[in-house]
Amino acid sequence: MYRMAVHFGVLFFFFKFFSQGAMKVLHTFCVVLLVFWSVSEAKFDDFEDEEDIVEYDDNDFAEFEDVMEDSVTESPQRVITTEDDEDETTVELEGQDENQEDFEDVDTQEGDTESEPYDDEEFEGYEDKPDTSSSKNKDPITIVDVPAHLQNSWESYYLEILMVTGLLAYIMNYIIGKNKNSRLAQAWFNSHRELLESNFTLVGDDGTNKEATSTGKLNQENEHIYNLWCSGRVCCEGMLIQLRFLKRQDLLNVLARMMRPVSDQVQIKVTMNDEDMDTYVFAVGTRKALVRLQKEMQDLSEFCSDKPKSGAKYGLPDSLAILSEMGEVTDGMMDTKMVHFLTHYADKIESVHFSDQFSGPKIMQEEGQPLKLPDTKRTLLFTFNVPGSGNTYPKDMEALLPLMNMVIYSIDKAKKFRLNREGKQKADKNRARVEENFLKLTHVQRQEAAQSRREEKKRAEKERIMNEEDPEKQRRLEEAALRREQKKLEKKQMKMKQIKVKAM
Amino acid sequence: MATGFGLWVWIGALGSACPSRGRDLSAPDPRACRRYKPPPSECNPALDDPTPDYMNLLGMIFSMCGLMLKLKWCAWVAVYCSFISFANSRSSEDTKQMMSSFMLSISAVVMSYLQNPQPMTPPW
Repeated sequence: MYRMAVHFGVLFFFFKFFSQGAMKVLHTFCVVLLVFWSVSEAKFDDFEDEEDIVEYDDNDFAEFEDVMEDSVTESPQRVITTEDDEDETTVELEGQDENQEDFEDVDTQEGDTESEPYDDEEFEGYEDKPDTSSSKNKDPITIVDVPAHLQNSWESYYLEILMVTGLLAYIMNYIIGKNKNSRLAQAWFNSHRELLESNFTLVGDDGTNKEATSTGKLNQENEHIYNLWCSGRVCCEGMLIQLRFLKRQDLLNVLARMMRPVSDQVQIKVTMNDEDMDTYVFAVGTRKALVRLQKEMQDLSEFCSDKPKSGAKYGLPDSLAILSEMGEVTDGMMDTKMVHFLTHYADKIESVHFSDQFSGPKIMQEEGQPLKLPDTKRTLLFTFNVPGSGNTYPKDMEALLPLMNMVIYSIDKAKKFRLNREGKQKADKNRARVEENFLKLTHVQRQEAAQSRREEKKRAEKERIMNEEDPEKQRRLEEAALRREQKKLEKKQMKMKQIKVKAM
Repeated sequence: MATGFGLWVWIGALGSACPSRGRDLSAPDPRACRRYKPPPSECNPALDDPTPDYMNLLGMIFSMCGLMLKLKWCAWVAVYCSFISFANSRSSEDTKQMMSSFMLSISAVVMSYLQNPQPMTPPW
């Protein structure tokens, strides 16, 4: 900038000196020359190599005289130098822009710069810089792992492998559990077959055959539930034995059982003939089981409203309790042989339930009480626990054989046992009471049901009349319906009159 | 009279010689045979054990979630649910239902991996 000022000062001096007429032309030429020279000198001020300056000075005017080609060859050098000079990049570029007004394609210049060999002298300032940058890089480098989804190894799929392993474990457990349950069921059947065949003509029936022939094998309902139907004996209609094993085939269940041990169970349901069993409700078993049954079962909740009593009076162990409709039933049931069975096999007995009013568990209906009493059957129910508390072996099944003897004995006992007169009266009173209570509760519902039925009948009759094509017949039917209604009204009125008379 | 008396004696002897007509309590009686009737199944299966039905439904829901939302873990849980449902199923149940649930869960897993082959990332 200082030099520019000097040059302009020189210019001013010349202007003043040559201001007179004749020298005016020479003066202007000199001024122009001075201006351009000063500008060009300012641009290439930093060049150390004088040869370059001379070279560029020569090319300075060639730049303006010649067309694109020379300027293209020349300008790359200028571009390089301007890029090298960081300090005066802006100024030089501006000057360059003024000079390069004719240039249209800037890209070609850039392309040419790449092909042009770099001058080493131009990079003198840069030797230090790589050194400084490398010193900066001596700071610790954190090498980040390639993200898992971009890796190409099996290890990244560890969750999937885990899932598949879990599935395989589940399948293995299914096969093992299923086989174990099957072996247990077969062991039970083999040990009990003889006893059952000596007592029943029909052992094993799935209900699909046309004739009643013994299949001689268990009916598999599930992977953990096996059924056996025995029939053909005096006093009972039939006996359904259900082997309810633990869900050994389900891994989740196996894991849950590790927290809370549960036993396999054998449930036996004997359906008695109506004439072969008297009317009573009686249950004996573990206290916990009886409390649960009393809550769940319809007949126990209605007829045995007292809490389970201890059976110590009859010689039963403390673990067992008794629920009974009346004391006479308990006395009659607890004979020596029964007490012997109950005492010796108390650990295997869950519950024993005799009832003539058995209708299954209480039905929870949403619309309130059911409209009529559920059907009842005279039934003997036995629930036994298989010893082992989950870790059962096929040989443990033989331990249940005496319990089957108890069942057979109970069937015969139930047939023989009869209430005396007092007991019978009490029993009948109880049943009547229960029925009355039920009727009272459902009175409103039954009335509504009767009303709706009557309306249905009327509607059906009207429809019949409407559908009748013959007008004569229609008329006659209508008249008949009218007459019937009138009769009903008359009857009602008569009843009301009678009631009034009686009241008076 | 003697012949009459003799006749009665003979009938009496005959009667006593015959086997007792009273029912022996311990003997099996073919006349008393009753066919097996399966218990009413309208409420029992669901009451006894609703696990297979719940697991079936859960499996279908999870597989639909896995397919729609492209969640791999949903698809895997669906496979597990259908396996559990199969293990707990009753023999009377329809195998078609089971197979369809199973196939749906497998297809959910396969589709999730086809669309996005990256491994599953744990939520933690």
